[in-house]
Amino acid sequence: MPAALAIQETVPSPARHAVIARVAGVAKTYGSGENAVAALTGATLDIRAGEVTLIEGPSGSGKTTLISILGLLLTPTAGEVWLEGRNVAGLGERELPGLRARNFGFVFQGFNLFPALSALENVAIAIRMKNPRARGAEAEARRLLDHVGLGSRAHHLPADLSGGQKQRVAIARALGGNPPILIGDEPTAALDTKTALSVMELLRELATTERRAVVVVTHDPRLERFADRVVRVEDGRIEAITTPNATPAT
Amino acid sequence: MWNLARKLLLHDRLRFAVAIAGVSVSVMLVLVQVGLYFGFMDTASSLIDASTADLWVGKQGNESFEFATPFDERTLYKVASVPGVARAERVLMSFVQAKLPDGGDLGVQVVGIETTPGQRSMLAPWNVVAGDPQRLAEPGAIVVDRTEYAKLKIDRVGHVTEIAGTRAEVVALTSGIRSFTTSPIVFTDLRTARSYLPQFGDEPVTYVLVKLAPGADRLAVQARIEALPHLAAYTTPQMSTRTRTYWSERTGVGAGFFTTAVLGVIVGFVVVGQILYSGTLQYLREYGTLKAMGAKNSAVVRVILSQAMISAALGFAVGAPLAIGMRAAMKGANLNVALTPELYAVTAGITIVMCAFAALLSIVKVLRLDPASVFKG
Repeated sequence: MPAALAIQETVPSPARHAVIARVAGVAKTYGSGENAVAALTGATLDIRAGEVTLIEGPSGSGKTTLISILGLLLTPTAGEVWLEGRNVAGLGERELPGLRARNFGFVFQGFNLFPALSALENVAIAIRMKNPRARGAEAEARRLLDHVGLGSRAHHLPADLSGGQKQRVAIARALGGNPPILIGDEPTAALDTKTALSVMELLRELATTERRAVVVVTHDPRLERFADRVVRVEDGRIEAITTPNATPAT
Repeated sequence: MWNLARKLLLHDRLRFAVAIAGVSVSVMLVLVQVGLYFGFMDTASSLIDASTADLWVGKQGNESFEFATPFDERTLYKVASVPGVARAERVLMSFVQAKLPDGGDLGVQVVGIETTPGQRSMLAPWNVVAGDPQRLAEPGAIVVDRTEYAKLKIDRVGHVTEIAGTRAEVVALTSGIRSFTTSPIVFTDLRTARSYLPQFGDEPVTYVLVKLAPGADRLAVQARIEALPHLAAYTTPQMSTRTRTYWSERTGVGAGFFTTAVLGVIVGFVVVGQILYSGTLQYLREYGTLKAMGAKNSAVVRVILSQAMISAALGFAVGAPLAIGMRAAMKGANLNVALTPELYAVTAGITIVMCAFAALLSIVKVLRLDPASVFKG
């Protein structure tokens, strides 16, 4: 375990493998009539606490649509999205920001950090934006940066950080507000192999030690060794869900 | 939010400097143009504003204070006999030619006032800086303003000149009494003024100034005077407003100054709007990320509005001293830029509104920003 992860934080602790979110029979169609394009059809997936779920598939297969629906960023054309014990698929824009703030942290390929803000400020502003009444956002941000091993770089601007360090700042930002689910959109794609593996290791540890659900879209099969499950998406359908680290039956 | 807004603005210092320059120029233009306008208007009504009269009585149909039609002296007695009038005083005002030492002529605005011993005229010259205004009662005595030295080629009290072919001696000098028409104002006694204006007939008068009796109903007295044939009565503030309105509307000076001021606001609006919008586009993915993670639209909008308000505050902080500098520079050209606390307050308000509106395009952009877009490459 990395030293940075030795600090345990207080997080919701659902039982390991408990289902904390579910998409059931979701479909997404863009356009209408003759121009309709089905991006996703009949996708059903459970998101479990403490698990790393990789979503793989070729470009245009529907991976991003799937995590967008799961992350409540996209409304499905059909199907259900279960979160906090209820179907939230039909909720309006008034309720969704609060649900997203409580449940999700996002990590992106391009980091999406404000270049004018230090690592600490990037994390703190996300905490304040999620909850404007949050007190001690800066102290919490510092704790999260320590947590991902970047405490010593807290006052550096993104331009002064390496790709791996930027992604760690982005992970610390995603942890702001203590969401139970982390969604990564190719978070290692812009990193060299060694850095990519260390970032994935960090995400794995967050799942294992803090029982967060980690969902990562990737093209990189080398990441499968960190995953509890690999979801294969092709042509808008979930073709297979495998468990790469399952102990073979003897 | 303020901290984020400030850092986003300052991150690109050149762009920030352009934004502040845009707002500053806008603020300076508004202050100087509107200040100049008010300065001109103050000049236009300065004689009226400085008078101690309660009512100004003139001929009906007089459009302009300066170009009033004279009436005969009997009107004075009619007005003086109106119940509620404590005192009535004659004023004769017109333009005549003054002879310059080099042989040339110059049009001056003669203001003939009553110089009753022991009683200060309701339109007596003020801001006297040299000489003895009491001597105005002497035949041929005049009082001129020292800012008109260059035009009148007068350099001292005691200077003798010729007005309308009549000997005139400067007995006192004032400071800051200037006419909107640019013709120097020459105070003199009513009798001397009449001697300059024989063409107006016997005992002409252009205004009767009225002092109300203590406790008199001003509206009732005004109505009684207006019931007299061909007369109109205005309070001093009403007369002042009429004069300002006349010069503002008839000369187009108001439209001219305000058009330039509006152009200044438009310049500021465009510059700030463009800077804020390009800044918003630059950070669109970051704003989208915050929205994806649950930030409400209102929180992101506050960041943009904060940037607009910072631009407004700093732009005003730079633009206002620039306007003060311009006022000092213009004073040398005898131009009065009236920068009042009210003008500063209104301009600050305009600057805030201008910057807030300039942020609208950016605000619409982030409101329409689909948080799912952060997943699209």
